[in-house]
Amino acid sequence: MNGLRQAWLVALREMRERSRSRAFQASVVLMVVGVAAVLILPALLKPGSTRNVGVTGPAPAALAATIVQQAHAAGITARIHPYASLAAGEQAVRQGQVDVLVDGARRLEWKGQADEQLNAVVTGAIQLATVRERAAAAGIGPGALAALLTPVPVTSIQLGSAPGRSPGDQTAVLIMTIVLFFGISVFGQMVLTGVLEEKASRVVEVLLARIPPRALLAGKIAGIGLLGLAQIGVTALAALVAVATVHSIDVPAIRGSVLAWVIVWFVLGYALYATVYGALGSLGSRVEDAQAVAAPVTVVLMVAYFASFVTIGNPAGAAARALSYIPLSAPMAMPGRIAMGATAWWEPVVSAVITLATIAGLVQLAGRVYTRAILHAGPALSLRDVWRDRTASGSGAAGAGSPDTEAARQPVHVAAGEEATTTGADLTRRRWLMTVLTGAGVLLGVAVAVFANDVIIGVAAGAGFIAIATRMVSLWTRHAGPPPRGHAT
Amino acid sequence: MLDFDGAAKRFGPVTALDRCTFSARPGRLTGFLGPNGAGKTTAMRAVFGLVKLDGGTVRWHGVPVRAADRARFGYMPEERGLYPRMRVRDQLVYLGQLCGRRPGDVSRSVGTWLERLGLADRAADRLDALSHGNQQRVQLIAALVNEPDLLVLDEPFSGLDPIAMGAMGELLSGLAAAGATVLFSSHQLDLVQDLCQDVVIIERGRIVLAGELAELRAKVPDRFVDIRYRGPAPDWSRLVPATVIRAADGQARLRVRRDTDLAAVLAAVRDRADLVSFSYQPPTLSELFHQAVAA
Repeated sequence: MNGLRQAWLVALREMRERSRSRAFQASVVLMVVGVAAVLILPALLKPGSTRNVGVTGPAPAALAATIVQQAHAAGITARIHPYASLAAGEQAVRQGQVDVLVDGARRLEWKGQADEQLNAVVTGAIQLATVRERAAAAGIGPGALAALLTPVPVTSIQLGSAPGRSPGDQTAVLIMTIVLFFGISVFGQMVLTGVLEEKASRVVEVLLARIPPRALLAGKIAGIGLLGLAQIGVTALAALVAVATVHSIDVPAIRGSVLAWVIVWFVLGYALYATVYGALGSLGSRVEDAQAVAAPVTVVLMVAYFASFVTIGNPAGAAARALSYIPLSAPMAMPGRIAMGATAWWEPVVSAVITLATIAGLVQLAGRVYTRAILHAGPALSLRDVWRDRTASGSGAAGAGSPDTEAARQPVHVAAGEEATTTGADLTRRRWLMTVLTGAGVLLGVAVAVFANDVIIGVAAGAGFIAIATRMVSLWTRHAGPPPRGHAT
Repeated sequence: MLDFDGAAKRFGPVTALDRCTFSARPGRLTGFLGPNGAGKTTAMRAVFGLVKLDGGTVRWHGVPVRAADRARFGYMPEERGLYPRMRVRDQLVYLGQLCGRRPGDVSRSVGTWLERLGLADRAADRLDALSHGNQQRVQLIAALVNEPDLLVLDEPFSGLDPIAMGAMGELLSGLAAAGATVLFSSHQLDLVQDLCQDVVIIERGRIVLAGELAELRAKVPDRFVDIRYRGPAPDWSRLVPATVIRAADGQARLRVRRDTDLAAVLAAVRDRADLVSFSYQPPTLSELFHQAVAA
């Protein structure tokens, strides 16, 4: 029985048990419905193509016919409703029976804001009908008039932010980024709580008597990941179908090749974050510890997510470029750039290789942390305890007041004791470290603000750095929880 | 045959195992005794690689334990734990499969054990829907799903009612009789004395007594005479060459040397007291234990 086969059994269990949960089934349905709705609804909500136009007062004889004709050219069916008095016409506008009232061919009355398209159609029709009337009066024949009025064809296109892209792409990329963040974060946290549940329910000791810790962690990450992949895959498929169904919107971003990259980046992003979540999960001792032990990586993920939005506005800019190469943000930034057509073919490949290398390194670290911390019982561990192996490797799991393991647990109490009675020197050092980090964060924020010429981005960068750095220090030096009072965090 | 050979483990300033050497033999029940904190759990965990020894080895059939051997081991940790929301049968089959057994075989084993422990009708229920006692039974099956050659149980009797205790004892004896090596820790010395052929006593990480229980008891130079009688109590110490452990209410327990002439003692007692019962025994496990741990 090798570790690989055991890991596969672990993965199978994760998939079987989790796919049975109602919450998971509901989330699959919700995501598919949500994405499809976002893509289809705008087309459905587009106002219908029939407009009601009220006409009152003196007007050129051919006005009604001209409005219908002009509207038809613009792809609108116009229905003309003549009103005997202005009051009757206005009443109809107020009641929504007509969209616009043409008063004496000089004034357009709307209920609220003017419908730009209808406005243009009606105004054009008034001009045209008036010109025709005047031409007839001036003795210009219909043939000569037609020659005079032959329109010069003017086309209008939407450039979007990159060549060959429509603004619809931006929406698509936005959805893509949200789905990727959702996937990485939800399934990553499933690994986090899964690890903690196994530790808290003590089943982990039964499991580890049979399989190596690394096989258990790897199997868990793989199983939850495959489940996530299935959900993201189904969602991507729903997006493709939705776009194919609604021809009216032009979204080049949603193509098979882009969606394939989205799936690749989901796998990479999930693998990266789930590995860290798994390792951090082993530090806690109760499921309630989950958010506390995982706070630093959750903050990093959030910052990477928000930062990735720059790719939507300017996928070819320096910030987007940089973010799409940093392994922590690449999984959310690179797919957007690919979708916006702002990458050379080799860029995602290089970034994926960098991310893979990072994952390989993290797997080593995570394996070490997990192996040492997973059998430890007692208060949540700090990373420093694990690093120096003060976990009493595999001791603990002691029942209330069972000194059989109490003795074994002692070193942990020593570590905890150190923490509880943090000496003055330690406190000063921590305070000093926090001050330095806060200062560095402020400097970073100022630098980013100057460089990006944007104060908000600068503040966000600085605050993000301070938040992450101080939490890292907390996780490293003490057991999960708020830092001692009197600390600048 | 499971051998601990100089097993040593320190946790910081605490010595959990101090060059422990002892064995558990196939076909026999070995009771692993010691006060709380003596190192029992650490030693048992070392069998499964859950504790990395600082020195010494644990051998199975003469070879340091490998992962492949552990597939044929069963373990019940002191801290019971299974997946609370997983169905009983699924859970047990999964644990069996992790030992490398084919799903069909595991399924058969699980079915047999569920049947034997009266849980067949609960197989499809979630674990957390079961009573505490039934959860304990499932935990025991979890250690048995791979039909292990070596069974290591940490406090298997704790938390059981007297009936369940009896059933557990019978089950363990049955497994040993079928050829398995069974090592379990317990604080119930009378129970261990009744069940086990071998005992190992550990104190502060050191093995203070180990071997065949009958032999260990016989080896001690002292014997105990228990007397029940009617009427007034004679002066026991003048009657026989013995130390009086206690004497009151028609009962007396005397300690004599192993080479004392039993017939002479019996005759002397019968002359002076209205005898109800008379027994001559080596020390109980409990007495051995207290002596070993106090030394």
